Amino acid sequence: MGGLLSDAHWGVLLILLPLFGGLCSFLWPGAVKFIGLATVSAVALSVVGLGDQLLTTGVYHHAVGGWGAPLGIDLYADGLSLFMLMVNALVGLGVSIYALDYFDQGEARRFWPLWLLLLGGLNALFLSADIFNLYVTLEIVGLAGVGLASLSRSGAALDGAMRYLMATLLGSLCYLLGVALLYHSAGTVDIPLLAERLESTPPVWAALGLICAGLALKTALFPLHFWLPKAHASASAPVSALLSALVVKASFYILLRLWLEIFSVRTEGVDDLLGALGMAAIIWGSLQALQQTRLKLMIAYSTVSQMGYLFLVFPLAAAGAFSAWSAVAYLILSHALAKSSMFLVAGNLMHFGGHDRIADLDRAVQRLPITVGAFALAGVSIMGLPPSGGFIGKWLLLNEALNQGRWDLVIVMMIGGVLAAAYIFKVLGFAFTQAPVTHEPKGVPAIMEWSALLLAVAAIVLGFLASPLMLILGIGETVQLMGAGQ
Amino acid sequence: MEAIDIALGLFDLLLVFLLLWLAWLVMSSEDLFKAIVLFVAFGLLMALVWVRLEAPDIALAEAAIGAGLTGALLMAALDRLNAVKPMPAAAVVTSAKREQPSLPSKVLPLVALVLIVLGLGYALLSLPDVADGLVPNVKEQMAQSGVKNPVTAVLLNFRGYDTLLEMVVLLLALLSVWSLGGVRKLSPRNTNPVLASLCRVLVPVLILVSCYLLWVGADAPGGAFQAGSVLGAAGVLLLLSGWHVEQKILLWPLRFILVLGSGVFIIIAAVLFFTQGGLLTYPVAQAGWLILLLESAATLSIGATLAALFFGGIPKSRVDQ
Repeated sequence: MGGLLSDAHWGVLLILLPLFGGLCSFLWPGAVKFIGLATVSAVALSVVGLGDQLLTTGVYHHAVGGWGAPLGIDLYADGLSLFMLMVNALVGLGVSIYALDYFDQGEARRFWPLWLLLLGGLNALFLSADIFNLYVTLEIVGLAGVGLASLSRSGAALDGAMRYLMATLLGSLCYLLGVALLYHSAGTVDIPLLAERLESTPPVWAALGLICAGLALKTALFPLHFWLPKAHASASAPVSALLSALVVKASFYILLRLWLEIFSVRTEGVDDLLGALGMAAIIWGSLQALQQTRLKLMIAYSTVSQMGYLFLVFPLAAAGAFSAWSAVAYLILSHALAKSSMFLVAGNLMHFGGHDRIADLDRAVQRLPITVGAFALAGVSIMGLPPSGGFIGKWLLLNEALNQGRWDLVIVMMIGGVLAAAYIFKVLGFAFTQAPVTHEPKGVPAIMEWSALLLAVAAIVLGFLASPLMLILGIGETVQLMGAGQ
Repeated sequence: MEAIDIALGLFDLLLVFLLLWLAWLVMSSEDLFKAIVLFVAFGLLMALVWVRLEAPDIALAEAAIGAGLTGALLMAALDRLNAVKPMPAAAVVTSAKREQPSLPSKVLPLVALVLIVLGLGYALLSLPDVADGLVPNVKEQMAQSGVKNPVTAVLLNFRGYDTLLEMVVLLLALLSVWSLGGVRKLSPRNTNPVLASLCRVLVPVLILVSCYLLWVGADAPGGAFQAGSVLGAAGVLLLLSGWHVEQKILLWPLRFILVLGSGVFIIIAAVLFFTQGGLLTYPVAQAGWLILLLESAATLSIGATLAALFFGGIPKSRVDQ
């Protein structure tokens, strides 16, 4: 059984399954829920299979078409890729279960094909070792994200989706121009080969600038976050969860991957710039979140702030690559789980009361105890309190900053934590008080409450899984990740 | 010989300036209709540039999609904008006057743009003059690719996986448009008899051209994307001339054609994966007809998708009500 599991090409299945499922759900609108849930479950099982395979045989390589780089495209999976695929599978399962009851018939028929194709694009992105192929996957992720963001067809959603479309297209074009410059400089688009061949020339610098700018725009790094709050806050709850938990992480992953593989030794100054913008994002995003009167906007600004933590990896990567990026990977997973849970909670509260005004939450804790409990647990992880995944990630990152004597990063992380506590307790406070307004509360289906709670509990449980998860992240870990397996 | 070189050099210079001038006109035009017409002209000139750069495949695609179908899509969008909000010219002018931007907000983007252009220009000029890239690798493996046109070999064989994902991107573009809703009312229009008779002549010709481009793609410039866009143009013509599509076809036959390209791609990829042990690993002897099969399916899907994009929202059907 073990042999069968480790011989199978789980990586290929992870790409083909959701794409095929997406097409099927488009062809048979009557069976979308069944097709969707079956596909997402199969993807989660495949991630387990891939994990088993990687733990026994090390990194995964597959030359698509049998050509191999540089002529063909290579698939590649190591600990970091596997980790990102796990994020997809876990958040995907939670949100899919929630979506079963959230959407009405018409919306469900539009939601599932887009979401399954998005999942396929995300999986393909995390498995790619080719910078042009990464561009194509980015296009899938971006377009599916725009389609999902406009799903509810409200004016605000269309406006948010349009902003998102403009931002994501501009980001993709910048990235593509960078890819063209790299290809012309090195004659290949394969990441390990680029790492060998690239020298510090003006075109490579221009490519670095374009790729960083494009991906920072897609990741909503301060001050390029202008599109995110509106797009994420105005979408339907499951879509907000997917966009905040998965989609912004995809472009960050590419930046991190290219940084570790290609750019790390050629970046004096750029790393500190990205770090400084990350610090600004933590403070600015938290302050904005604190001022919001709408729950979903608050959660969206919290995403801006939490994405800032991820960018602290760049100033720390030069002196301590693995300890820095493994901490950030931990943060990605815990933020994805906690943030998706928060957006689902917001969806429940809106379903219940018909609004998401924080001040009018009106004793939600008595009426929806599970939902408010989920928010509190997710909040613990977002604040970085022990025991939670957020705590471990921030603790590891803090440790690394202390080791390297980066007191500026340490102080900003501390302030960010305090501000996060402030905006989360503000919401919880209002959930206990009685609001003057009266409204007709609507019951929330149990599945929607429990799936939000499950994701939040998962974010907490992460706090106890540090050692096995670090083992996973360490698969194939060397200085040059992708080159090592060849 | 020298005189020809000088003439071509002058022609290139003229092309570059025309392109820049047209681009400026497109952006600065207040009249959207005029801007679209100029944009189409821009696309045609761009196709000429690709010819001069010895990339006839891209030239064909640029002419068909960049100049042709994009223009039609923009016109369709403009048509709806006018239908939704007929904005009198006077209102546009006053709103432009009211929002007179301050000097720094005008100058700062300009300075930033100039700096970016200078930086990129410097980077481009310091690129190596001649870079073969992957051309030698492609030449070396051409015999194993199953086709004789290197562009088709790259798109459908060496990097066929990219094309598989691109087909998904195309489908997603349509799904995203359908996600916006906005079902177009198929009101019986006053169909122009000239347009109708033109249609009767042109549509069969376009279908024939599409088949030719598809077939010739194996040996010469052409292929699924060009053939599909010509097919899409035929679809646009039919829609314009008031062609009425049966309700039954709008349900799942249309959906079937839309997913055919990516679906066949995925199924072939999966079959090859289980029989040959690799994703999209064609056996050399079967590569030729497998590529033709993939391209035929892709052509139908691309054509249907482009025509559906022109049509706009989800076709009215009981399923999506």
